[in-house]
Amino acid sequence: MPAPSHAALIRQGWISLAVWIAFGILLEGMNGFRSPAFLDDAVRREMFRLAHAHGTLLNLVLLVAALCARLDLIRLGRITALGLGTAVVLLPAGFLLGGLWHFKDEPGRGVLLVPLGAVLLLVSAVYLSLTLPKKASPKR
Amino acid sequence: MTFLRISKPLLAWVVSVFVLFTIAAAIWAVAPDYASVRAGRADAGYLESGDCRKCHETNYASWHATFHRTMTQEANPTSMLGDFERENTITYQGVRSEMVREKGAYWMKFTGIDGVTQQLQIVRTVGSRRIQQYLVKTGDAWFRMPIAYDLMQRRWMHLNGSFFFPDGSDYKQHVAEWNVNCVFCHNVKAQPGLDWEKRTWQTEVAELGVACGACHGPAGEHAQRALSPLTRLRWNLKDEIAPERLVVHPAKINSDRSAMICGHCHGQRLADPQHRIRPMMSVGDPYDPGENLREFYKPVQRDDKVESFSFASRFWDDGSPRLTAYEYQGLTRSKCFTAGQPGARLTCISCHSMHAGDPRGQLTEKMKTNAACTQCHEQFAAPTQLVEHTKHSATSTGSLCYNCHMPKIVYGIMTAHRTHDITNPRPDETVRFGKPNACNQCHLDWSANQTIATTQRLWPKTLAQSEPHDPRFDEPEGQRALFAGDAVHRALTVAAMTPATDATGPLLLEAMQDNYPIVRYFAANALAALHPNLPKPDYLAPVLVRAATLAIWSPLWAPERLQAARAARERLTPLRSETDVEVGE
Repeated sequence: MPAPSHAALIRQGWISLAVWIAFGILLEGMNGFRSPAFLDDAVRREMFRLAHAHGTLLNLVLLVAALCARLDLIRLGRITALGLGTAVVLLPAGFLLGGLWHFKDEPGRGVLLVPLGAVLLLVSAVYLSLTLPKKASPKR
Repeated sequence: MTFLRISKPLLAWVVSVFVLFTIAAAIWAVAPDYASVRAGRADAGYLESGDCRKCHETNYASWHATFHRTMTQEANPTSMLGDFERENTITYQGVRSEMVREKGAYWMKFTGIDGVTQQLQIVRTVGSRRIQQYLVKTGDAWFRMPIAYDLMQRRWMHLNGSFFFPDGSDYKQHVAEWNVNCVFCHNVKAQPGLDWEKRTWQTEVAELGVACGACHGPAGEHAQRALSPLTRLRWNLKDEIAPERLVVHPAKINSDRSAMICGHCHGQRLADPQHRIRPMMSVGDPYDPGENLREFYKPVQRDDKVESFSFASRFWDDGSPRLTAYEYQGLTRSKCFTAGQPGARLTCISCHSMHAGDPRGQLTEKMKTNAACTQCHEQFAAPTQLVEHTKHSATSTGSLCYNCHMPKIVYGIMTAHRTHDITNPRPDETVRFGKPNACNQCHLDWSANQTIATTQRLWPKTLAQSEPHDPRFDEPEGQRALFAGDAVHRALTVAAMTPATDATGPLLLEAMQDNYPIVRYFAANALAALHPNLPKPDYLAPVLVRAATLAIWSPLWAPERLQAARAARERLTPLRSETDVEVGE
């Protein structure tokens, strides 16, 4: 699988950020308007909050990583780019799906995406730390 | 170094796997050991509700709202519901009791007729719905105090006002040892720990109050397996080869065993054979939910005795229970139960919900209606068929199934309760067994004989046989039972007369002369419901104090009506069908 370009990662990051910010507004709205579908369902509430938090923060991380790579501050190899790009989708999506359709007092099977995304994120972060240039040489 | 020659992608995977293993090891190291909880004890494997909450938040929350949870509690500002500050004294039979909170502790101070004061520290509470009782600890035993707090009337009371004991009973009659009896049903998995030789106690319970373990049994193995998210997922996916859940779900087991779970406490029982009480008192209650209760116990029936002690007064003469905590006996006598397929028939949770509905009765709103009965008897769901069946209008209280088939002819904790002996209304049973019948619970001004005749006319199949005419039952049944019934019958009759009406008022004033405080309790409430602005008669007050209050009430009715009520009491009291009863412990 070809690695996504920096531009593609930046595009993915901004689009996803927009999606998860919109989702955050939805949660605020459900809180504000006391939606029972959200407030009365403890599992859904927790899962949706985790989805929103992971979705926004991880996409910020993705944007920072892609921008750093574009500025040659770091090298985003194929593994890191693919891993990061996939993990930032799987993790929040797992929480979202796990909360959308869930068992009584337990997240639904969608939550299985979460550990998958977490492993990818971990591997990407480790690989990135191993491949950091010893001395930064920003492109001017 | 060698590892530096490893390709960086591989190194990234190796480091990641190492990190994951480290995380797994850390989780494993701090994992709880549910499987061996309380190992070696009678309550091995029983978890506390806080353990169950970690996975079953919703069920924990619904249970937390119930009165089961607060059945037994340690004394603290949250659990103590009595008034220890303002209306905190009561004088009964010459003994003055004062309930106070001092230095963060709760005390009962009893000052006897001799002026001597005894002060005892309250350490636990029992009950939280209708009355709250208090326990003190002396040595290794807990004792129930004779003074309790009436949560419905917001006042202190002597337990003579709750149990069926006449005035003049021993003041300490109701001081009871908690370790001996109460501990078994008001907590999870009781272990009295009695040393028969030394007569000492080492009482333990799995959890104070009626908590998860009381219905779901020991769940240590279940919780151990549930630590794995994959196991939980397979359970939730109903994977057929998933590990067994190893926990009792009362709705998913044989219905008879399910009823036994409730019957363990809501069906007073005797060790069977009786000598097995010895290990029960020393080691603990052998029954676990899901097991066959009859392997350990025999539900108490009317003819049972323990040595010379008879349980007969807890039942009507036909064997139907007349006290609460015998619901299991009532249910298992019912045709609704006996006519069903063993293992797949009516059980407690056919109507009651432990995790839904109103905690007062554990019934959902739907199950408070005829829907409870039309689950099976669907032919009566339509209004036309209902009216044809009940001979009452569809909106009449006479068309509510419960009122005719489960009338309030059972007494428990200062309330009239519905019997769980589900039967057809039989007014002839009043004549034959001295048992209140459903019809006269509403038609108090009809005589039992008139009710029998009406029943024979309207439901000829139910009551085809003609009873020999007994002239004692030509009196209006409300009036007859109020004065000629035994104490339980009298109390239930007054409860049926609540709220009082202009017609029943004079009779209830006469009922305030009853020598059983609990009869006067119902009468005072019935009168107060009619005229809430008049001073309410104090059912526990001395005779002269009560008379002074009743003197304020008497002018409400014409003297001839008061005289007629008095004449009825004087005429009917000698006809009481049996001697006074002492029931309720």
